Amino acid sequence: MDELVEAFAARRPLGLEQAYALWSPLFLSVARHIIADRAAAEDCVHDALLRVWRSPNRFSGNREMLKAYLVASVRNEALTLLRRESRHDARALKVARLAPVTTVEAPVVDPVETQRLQGALARLPEEQRIALTLAYYGNKTHVEIAKELDAPLGTIKSRISMAMRKLQTELASPGGSRS
Amino acid sequence: MTEHLGEDAELYPLGILDDDAARNVELHIAQCSACAQRVAQAQAVAVSLAAALPLATPSPALERRLRESVRPQPTAKLHASLFPFALAAAFALAFLGLGWQALVLRERLQSEDVALVTMVHSHFNHVSMNPQSASPVAAKILYARDGSWIYIIADKPGGTLHAIARTALGSTDLGALMSTGETATLLVHPRERIVSVTLQRAGADVASATLAY
Repeated sequence: MDELVEAFAARRPLGLEQAYALWSPLFLSVARHIIADRAAAEDCVHDALLRVWRSPNRFSGNREMLKAYLVASVRNEALTLLRRESRHDARALKVARLAPVTTVEAPVVDPVETQRLQGALARLPEEQRIALTLAYYGNKTHVEIAKELDAPLGTIKSRISMAMRKLQTELASPGGSRS
Repeated sequence: MTEHLGEDAELYPLGILDDDAARNVELHIAQCSACAQRVAQAQAVAVSLAAALPLATPSPALERRLRESVRPQPTAKLHASLFPFALAAAFALAFLGLGWQALVLRERLQSEDVALVTMVHSHFNHVSMNPQSASPVAAKILYARDGSWIYIIADKPGGTLHAIARTALGSTDLGALMSTGETATLLVHPRERIVSVTLQRAGADVASATLAY
């Protein structure tokens, strides 16, 4: 088994420290997309990683799965905080329509992957792209998206689910997995 | 088991399900490997979506906090008035042997306060570690009877020694002993009461001990 994954699964400090060393910019970028305050975002990363590391449920999987699991945990922690404190900054639908991926001058987490992602998003049917964009980049719940798009909840769930599965197929091939 | 997750498997990694639905996903994937795999694949897509986010760089303070949270902190909560005596006792035990050290400790403490002597003796215990492997190490552990601190001393460590502790919650890496010439030491204030300690050199067990409280 991968040394990092093994250490993390055994809840040795080294496992968490190595995961942090590899992916901390990604973790903080995910948190700051949801929580604007830098200190609060760092608290969120700290709390999310510790919660996972101390969980009685032993992690099993490979390194990429651990990375994805930790990123999801940080995002969930940040969204929980955001919703608890009612600081949800609703974004206008037209923003999602015009810009599936926010284009910024500042560096992004992974420029190469961003290019692949933009291409894959552009190939999605518009209604799926909008629903997914509102969910991920707009930080909205499926209920909020349904209300905003004036569509049934089941329809929104289907659009997002299909968009995710298409992206999975598109992004799975060239480039492979990265650390 | 309930039926498979369906679309919630893709929605869960996005964090957009309500609490009940999210909890249902977590309970389900703990028992269903097919859905666990589907959720893991969706989590990988979520990582790709994160690639386009503006890059944020963590402050050094975050790494420090995280490290402090996962590694038991030495000395931080050791009662200030007890610390010098515990340390003196530790070195006495390490270098002079149990009979000698008891005498030295008593003499040293007699010049202080008799009440303090009683307090020190009632607060810590000690144990010699059982040597293991072909190249074992001689080591002792002093520890507070209330489990609030342990002090590990190894004689002629012969390389970097790592201390692995077992608590009721599982194993945890206490970190490396610090070399001080002929000896290596580690003072730890654990969050959970330590049941046993194993010293490792290059990944191999070289000594172990069980702590009785």
